[in-house]
Amino acid sequence: MLHRAGVVLAADHPLRIMSHPLDSIFCPRSVAVIGASNAPEKYGYIILKNLLEAGFAGSVYPVNPKATEILGRPCTRSIADLPPGVDLAVIIIPARAVPQAVADCGQRGIKAAIIISGGFAESGEAGAALQREVVEAARRSGVRVVGPNCQGVNNPHHGLCASWPLLTEQGEIAVISQSGTVGAALMDWASQERLGCSAFVSLGNRCDVDETDLIDYLAQDANTRAIAAYLEGVKDLARFREVVSRCGKPIVILKSGRTVEGRRAAESHTRSLAGRDELYTALFRQLRIHRVDSLEDLYDAAKALAYLPKPGGRRILTITSSGGSGILATDWAEWSGLQVAALPGPVAETLRGLLPTHCIVANPLDLTGDGTAALYRKVVEATAPHFDYQVIIFGDPILQAADVVTPGAPQLVIFLGGAEVERQERARMHQKKVPVFPTPERGVRALARLFAFNGVAA
Amino acid sequence: MTTPPAADRTRWLPEPEALHLLADYNLPVIAHRLAATPEEAAQAARNLGCPVVLKVVSPEIPHKSDVGGVRLNVATPEEAAAAFTTILDRLTPHPSRLTIQGILVAKMAAPGTEVIVGMVRDPQFGPAVMVGLGGIFVELYKDVAFRLPPLSPGEARAMLGELKAAPLLTGYRGQPPRDLDALAACACAVARIAAEHPGIQEIDLNPIIAHEQGCMIVDAKILVHE
Repeated sequence: MLHRAGVVLAADHPLRIMSHPLDSIFCPRSVAVIGASNAPEKYGYIILKNLLEAGFAGSVYPVNPKATEILGRPCTRSIADLPPGVDLAVIIIPARAVPQAVADCGQRGIKAAIIISGGFAESGEAGAALQREVVEAARRSGVRVVGPNCQGVNNPHHGLCASWPLLTEQGEIAVISQSGTVGAALMDWASQERLGCSAFVSLGNRCDVDETDLIDYLAQDANTRAIAAYLEGVKDLARFREVVSRCGKPIVILKSGRTVEGRRAAESHTRSLAGRDELYTALFRQLRIHRVDSLEDLYDAAKALAYLPKPGGRRILTITSSGGSGILATDWAEWSGLQVAALPGPVAETLRGLLPTHCIVANPLDLTGDGTAALYRKVVEATAPHFDYQVIIFGDPILQAADVVTPGAPQLVIFLGGAEVERQERARMHQKKVPVFPTPERGVRALARLFAFNGVAA
Repeated sequence: MTTPPAADRTRWLPEPEALHLLADYNLPVIAHRLAATPEEAAQAARNLGCPVVLKVVSPEIPHKSDVGGVRLNVATPEEAAAAFTTILDRLTPHPSRLTIQGILVAKMAAPGTEVIVGMVRDPQFGPAVMVGLGGIFVELYKDVAFRLPPLSPGEARAMLGELKAAPLLTGYRGQPPRDLDALAACACAVARIAAEHPGIQEIDLNPIIAHEQGCMIVDAKILVHE
């Protein structure tokens, strides 16, 4: 991957193999911050600071007619005065001035704008009229717009944090969110776990760029392996169906509003049963989109779909040092349609020769309280050929646990009760791109996602 | 985005017309006649073969059984004539406000498993096809599955498989398995009807009696937007 090699190619660089209309948003050469500020509590300051600190390779230009310097960078007085090479503008100025700023961006050759400012369609009719002006200015000048009223865009693989908070961990989950906070929470978890994200986009009022445009982009983005989205509704259903059906990457959606809205008393049974939510369920199922009901499930499912290999079948073996965790995992496996198959006789015999006598050679295979990384490794190696997936539960502070697991192998890793050792080993595993789940329930439920749609991943 | 049609601009197709439309799509609809007099009801029962069912045909009465507009298991032509009179008598408290187009006399279907196939046109999603376990409890159990057309026979089969009550269709505790292909064909035909008749807003085929071989639509409601 070009970016990982430390080479940042501009959106229109001849060496970029693919080009996409949204390249200027995710991989701009240089960025201008329209409405940059010296006041540390303002987004015009916070976003400029994040852009400067995230490791962006291009230039970052603060634009403010009243300041000469912000965060040590000389200020440009107006959009028209910007030097060439600016692909992206982040706009944080009062709503009434935004339509003109978008037009000025187009005039200056800037291809995309992220409008952070609020005061548009979300705030009443006057705001909606302003938003229509923004759309009009954007269409006339050929500028693509994210927002308005949004929390920005983060592409850690390009060192581009045009958003907040400052998060830079590179990973393979892309986050799209109609709520800035909900999306940022997801990216924050992934960063804190050292798993990272491939992109974060806060949709805001989605006056131009919507979830379908982003899925279209992320489908061809080399860094993205799974797409996690929080949506309150799909903006353009026909295009969404078309784009998602050829996306080729797993998509997980948390769609809120599962209430009876849209349902009404009716004379046909079908009408009374066809709430909006049932139709979304049908749509997502048809498009092989994983639908989840909580933010936690959104994260876990995306993590599993991005980092775990596709299963060959449903036969699982649980290997644990904690009896209780093994039983919990077995319960969830059975509720989730996985097969907790018996150990083949000869394998059990081999294991009895390898393991201390107090180990319970069954499924779950319980190494009991003194399970060590060395014991885990023996068991994992001896049993791997006989099962489709291994559920490996580290239920104690097991030193060097990260050495037991193999990236890309059909292994679900759960770590709990390990305190500081657990935190260190989890970070090591995440750096190896092996996802670690915090409880048997969350791990097995996430694993079961891989078997949805008859095991045919999107 | 279109808005839902105003209620006063929609009407329920008279059941004979609804059944006729379904038959045009090669769907299995129950044999029936429309009777205007007790004598015609008796004659229809004789021609169809008893037992029969009598149902009032009126655009104002979509839920016929709630107002005593249905008589099931009518065993003889004489009983059919009497049932004709009884149904009209029951409705006479409000005859002035009712347009009664006649009484539908239909053959009773052989027993089987009751299934519902429906369609609703949503202003945002367009048509959606539903299958579920049918009968009067469908809204209670909400054991239904939806799809957005186009609908392939395989997808329609998958919808039936999603129902919690799917085992009732595939042979539960010694019951014979029901003809899933025939049910899937009903769902696919409903999807086609929705595509080819943009004015149709809602369809309830409830119940469809599913048999070991084939199935039979015994009641059809179709809401059209004029």
